[in-house]
Amino acid sequence: MKPLRIALTKGRLEEKTVAMLESIGYDCSQIRNKGRKLVLCIPEKNIEVVLAKSADVITYVENGVCDLGIVGKDTIMEMGKSFYEVLDLGFGRCRFALAVPKGTNFYEGYHSRTIATKYPNVARSYFESKMDIEVVKIEGSVELAPILGLADAIVDIVETGTTLKENGLEIAEEIAQVSARVIVNIASLKLRKKEIENLIDDMRRAIKEN
Amino acid sequence: MKIHDKITPDGTRDILFEQCEAKRSIERRLARFFRHRGFDEVMTPGLEFYDVFYSNAAYFPQETMYKLTDSKGRLMVMRPDCTIPIARLMGTRLAGLEKPVRLYYDQNVYRSNPSMKGFSNEITQTGVELIGAGSIKADLEILELAANGLTHCSIENYRLEICHIGYFKQLMNNLEADDTEKEKIRELIESKNYAALGDVLKSYPESEAVTALAKLPEMFGGCDVIDQAAKLFPNGKKVLDELRSVYESLQALGLGEKVIVDLGLVNQAEYYTGIIFRGYVDGVGEPVLSGGRYDKLMQDFGQALPATGFAVNVNQLSRVLLEKGDTVPPKTQILLFSEKQCDPLVFARMKELVEQGIRCEYSLFDTLEQTKAYAKSKGIPTVEVL
Repeated sequence: MKPLRIALTKGRLEEKTVAMLESIGYDCSQIRNKGRKLVLCIPEKNIEVVLAKSADVITYVENGVCDLGIVGKDTIMEMGKSFYEVLDLGFGRCRFALAVPKGTNFYEGYHSRTIATKYPNVARSYFESKMDIEVVKIEGSVELAPILGLADAIVDIVETGTTLKENGLEIAEEIAQVSARVIVNIASLKLRKKEIENLIDDMRRAIKEN
Repeated sequence: MKIHDKITPDGTRDILFEQCEAKRSIERRLARFFRHRGFDEVMTPGLEFYDVFYSNAAYFPQETMYKLTDSKGRLMVMRPDCTIPIARLMGTRLAGLEKPVRLYYDQNVYRSNPSMKGFSNEITQTGVELIGAGSIKADLEILELAANGLTHCSIENYRLEICHIGYFKQLMNNLEADDTEKEKIRELIESKNYAALGDVLKSYPESEAVTALAKLPEMFGGCDVIDQAAKLFPNGKKVLDELRSVYESLQALGLGEKVIVDLGLVNQAEYYTGIIFRGYVDGVGEPVLSGGRYDKLMQDFGQALPATGFAVNVNQLSRVLLEKGDTVPPKTQILLFSEKQCDPLVFARMKELVEQGIRCEYSLFDTLEQTKAYAKSKGIPTVEVL
């Protein structure tokens, strides 16, 4: 039987996922000592873990080269959704917010508004039913854009709000809650139902216990 | 100006040699099978008026259709689907045909997917429509045809998921919510997003329908799923009985192992009206076939008729066939050489070989030496000199 392949978002979600899996007795030593390897095994469970950037996790799962993926809701909202989103892992929590320079009202006046963001699709779909906006995609620190006068507001991930405060911004509206999710390829769930359900049940148990 | 004369557009590709062989083989086998089961072929234009698909706009978001204009400035689309043009046909030229009508098609559809995600924008679909029959018998025929169609393509390792969209529709009818909210709930069920679905449904007063909706994403498996669904929402008994009888009939046909029930299959819920299904094959991340009952579509084109059908994604199936490695492009057996510029003997010999079904090639070289070298590099076993 070929192994169940999981695409795991590198970095913070990776650490938390490993801790969760270890708490229910999965041997993640290979992931902990990965070196430069990108494909790793969880022995005795017939599971293969692939480490990838968040957006790639979605691409791999959508195309079926990975059966499951662990990825933030932020990336899911930005990238689309032809897969099953079966479990909220509860960690990696933060939120999408619209932030404006402190003391300003985003909706005041009739001038056209520009929003700077790393997540153009999220920003666009949030405003789709509200008003037309101009979206500017920024790759690095989005907080800069209003300071430099490029944008009236930003749409970004907010964890504690410290970065916003330090750059003279404040949250005007909360857009969505974000946390790590388990996604499953549509065909895989049908073809390998038992294995995938067992794994998800294990994860569910791990969340409950912690 | 940038000149794009070396590449093909996003989501399209050139199909070569053994890939063609595999693709044609799938198309041939399916077409032969459908024909032998009493289905007649139709071909519809690759271009249609936008209006044909507009009446069903909800299922064909306009951003997924390739659009052009004709010489009168009217908006046209590259055919994004094969069923709707057939509905148009049924409302017009085929309106007088004896029912039920059994049609099959084998043609390309064009859909503009988000770029660089690895999806094809040009897909060959081979499929069937059974029009004018609303019975379970017809549903079963189509399901069996789908399953056996895959077998005819030498695909054994497949899974067919079946659902009755009526159950979901009944549940939704029992929910006091506006259309936007309902669509949100449907999406959450479709993506099996248990957590978010639970949160959304919490805001509704407790009822059988709400409890059943919350469970819908996990209601997939065997016959027990149907029992569970009936217990949660007894009013759904009628549609569930239909589903059960289809499921049991498929078991009686020896397809029990291949069939899985998924009551959370709620895609295109507006379009479908009864038993719906999708097929999966090991190694392909998306459904290789999908279909179901759509009793409302025909009336959009002037004639209310029940109908069901499915389409096979030929590109994906041929990939599977290719990976199995049993398709090889035909190899030339004999290379014919003559020193003369026009040697009637060569053409006579080629005619003979073709009649025998032996693949031959005419050497255009001036010398036998060159001919032999060519045969060697192309792996042609025999050189015949005339």
